[in-house]
Amino acid sequence: MKKYIINRLLTAIPLLLAISFLCFVFINIIPSDPAEVALRVNQVAVISDELLEKTREEMGLNDPFFIRYFNWLADCIQLDFGISYVNPQRTVLGEMTRSLPNTLMLAGISFVLVIFLSLPIGFFCAVYKDSWFDKIMRGFIFMTTAMPAYWVGLLLMWIVSIKLDLLPTSGIGEGLKSLVLPSVTVALTYISTFIRLIRNNMLDNMKQDYVLYANVRGLKQKDILTKHILRNSLHTCVVAVGMSIPQLISGTIVVENVFAIPGLGTLCIESIFNRDYPIIQTYVLFIGVLFVTFNLLFDIVQCAIDPKLRKEEA
Amino acid sequence: MKKLLKAVLTATLVTAMLAGCASKKTSETDASVATGEGREELVFVNYRDIRDLNPHLYAGEMYAQNMIYDGLIDMVEGGFEGALAESWEISEDGKTYTFKIREGVTFSDGEVCDAHAIKANFDAILENSERHVWLTMMSVLESVDAPDENTFVIQLSAPYYPMLTELSMIRPFAMISPKAMKDGSTMDGVTEYIGTGPYILTDFVTDEYAVFERNENYWGDKPEIKKITVKVIPDNQTRILALEKGEIDLIFGKNMIDADALQNYQDNEKFSIALSDPTSTRQIVMNTTHEILSDKNVRYALSYATNKQAISDGIFYGLEAVAETLYAKTVPYCDIDLEPFTYNAEKAESLLAESGWTKGADGILEKDGKKFEIELLYNSDSVTEKNISEYLQSEYLKLGVKLNIHGEEEQSYRDNMKAGNFDMVFNISWGTPYDPQSSLSGMTGPVYGDYAAQQGLEDKAEIDEAIDKIMLSVDEEERQELYEFVLTRLHEDAVYIPLTYECNKAIYTSSLDGVGFTQSQYEIPFTDMFFK
Repeated sequence: MKKYIINRLLTAIPLLLAISFLCFVFINIIPSDPAEVALRVNQVAVISDELLEKTREEMGLNDPFFIRYFNWLADCIQLDFGISYVNPQRTVLGEMTRSLPNTLMLAGISFVLVIFLSLPIGFFCAVYKDSWFDKIMRGFIFMTTAMPAYWVGLLLMWIVSIKLDLLPTSGIGEGLKSLVLPSVTVALTYISTFIRLIRNNMLDNMKQDYVLYANVRGLKQKDILTKHILRNSLHTCVVAVGMSIPQLISGTIVVENVFAIPGLGTLCIESIFNRDYPIIQTYVLFIGVLFVTFNLLFDIVQCAIDPKLRKEEA
Repeated sequence: MKKLLKAVLTATLVTAMLAGCASKKTSETDASVATGEGREELVFVNYRDIRDLNPHLYAGEMYAQNMIYDGLIDMVEGGFEGALAESWEISEDGKTYTFKIREGVTFSDGEVCDAHAIKANFDAILENSERHVWLTMMSVLESVDAPDENTFVIQLSAPYYPMLTELSMIRPFAMISPKAMKDGSTMDGVTEYIGTGPYILTDFVTDEYAVFERNENYWGDKPEIKKITVKVIPDNQTRILALEKGEIDLIFGKNMIDADALQNYQDNEKFSIALSDPTSTRQIVMNTTHEILSDKNVRYALSYATNKQAISDGIFYGLEAVAETLYAKTVPYCDIDLEPFTYNAEKAESLLAESGWTKGADGILEKDGKKFEIELLYNSDSVTEKNISEYLQSEYLKLGVKLNIHGEEEQSYRDNMKAGNFDMVFNISWGTPYDPQSSLSGMTGPVYGDYAAQQGLEDKAEIDEAIDKIMLSVDEEERQELYEFVLTRLHEDAVYIPLTYECNKAIYTSSLDGVGFTQSQYEIPFTDMFFK
């Protein structure tokens, strides 16, 4: 077990390096000159060659590619991600830490919704396979997987906020209440995925021999379903659940923008429109690191809770 | 097991109902806000944060800078009006501008705004003069001086007629309290946003909202509206929904509302819409150095083949009027009689035939074995430009012109335009208050696509010379003549296919009144607004 964890931790390092490198390369192969972009986003109407040269020098763009990469990497490790082009008064780190709480809040509520809704629904869908409930849910899954988030968001806003006049349309001014619609929007797609996952896993498990033996042993149906089938089905869901956390954090982009939530997603979209490269670069890096970390974490967790896997590793 | 299912379903229903009841309360308070009677607070919306409102730099929202700060003078219809300067005199040689500074004006932090404070501001601006070279006055500005507390003098090395226009621009010529500067400098940021304007910024949360309250010590007419909250909503559709809900009162701006939405609200009792005079011109620039387009006949033909009326009606629902000339007649010095290129497909055809283009077997025009194939570059971030491109592609094909349309993301579209890497390209004029002086001035150097596009003109040098002369002219009549010359030449050379005139749009709750537009497209005249 210890060996496995150390192994996984060591493989994460080259992966993180590769992500940072790709991130840097992508921003660098954009054909526009960052110096010119920096000047233009500040609405300098006439960009002279001298001014360009001066800005390039200031931004360290005249150094060779790898030197720039290693400088950037060294800064990143010290959590210095540079300064926003658009607003030189602000550091990228400051902007990220300002927006992160809102995104975490949104992702967190969505996560809770996903777990609390998909678990019982998935469970009942499997237990009452092909019942009216299962059929309705399958229709629901089919629909929500096909609907793009921004559209669902606008639709919910129109029905719930305008027609029913129940909740605010956008912003976060009214606290938790403002987060209801966006988190439902974010959660919908994941709920569908998880319902299907839990349902199918349970159906698979029901066909296993241990269920037959449990029945033979005369255990209560309720106990077989909750203590054995559900538990075993959840083992395989752990990684999916774990990976849904970084997915939720990165997946709020569109929804944040639609609901005017000042989180990471809004920051990212705004930066893309303004060509605020340092922020885009840091955002991509952040999401990459998040995925690697959670992947690592839940692989280890899964290994710890699933005796079968543990045995294989040993 | 069935019991459990029932329990879960009931629980869900009950929660949903509770949530419904709980939120009912606040929506009632919202409703009282939505009726106009006696309201003194306005909720405005913008697509992004106010950002850095340092008036001497360019990274802040202009409408907000305009609320907080004043300049020496304001541009009004047909001329200028004193702001912090009560009156001014221009010496006969056009080189010395003497301003009489308004007495008794204070910044909202209590600092006196006299000639010395204004001098301090100009010193801060000039310290960073490289940043402001886009203003031609920077190259002729010799010195500024405050001989006493009520007099401020600007000395130029050569006469420069758009001086007052440039001085009236909110940035960089808005005045901030010297106390808010960092050691007399503003180029590295300011400590607070303190001005003399009608409103004071009292609170803001980045990317969420900003609150402006009326400046009770404002030197001019106090605005009716006491408090303005600006919410940040990046999405076009959400803004409209928020307006519907009554969460916001006013949407204002060129790209804040799309034509479809505006169309929906045209005959609506709850909401009103307002459209400004043309602010800028949407146009296609033709590269006169291009093999095919260097022929004036061809440029004429394409101008005649462009059905602007159809574009205005079909794409803009008539909300953007047809543009006949490079600048609208409402733009200063541009009320000139020029013969418009009205849509005429036959004329276009005969002009092309005149130049020796004949239709080949595939229906595409040919000349000396070469096909008539040109490329139109557009900004792929703009759906409108893509729509117009596709329309023109099908229209031109009827003539036998193969138009390839090519979209690039904004920065590379701009790079290509500036470098002259295009046959035809979309462009929008700089708009008020930069038209026509600044945008014409920009044509004499590689600033935008114009310079590259005009290189094929025989009379390019002559046109540039006339533009330079305009800027130095002191005589009004001579200036008008020069403008006429330049604009007539550009029109007759058919470098541009003007399409429509963009205008500023506002959509607002009907209880709000006094929604209008000023001479600058970036200003929002909150001071004139009131609730009925």
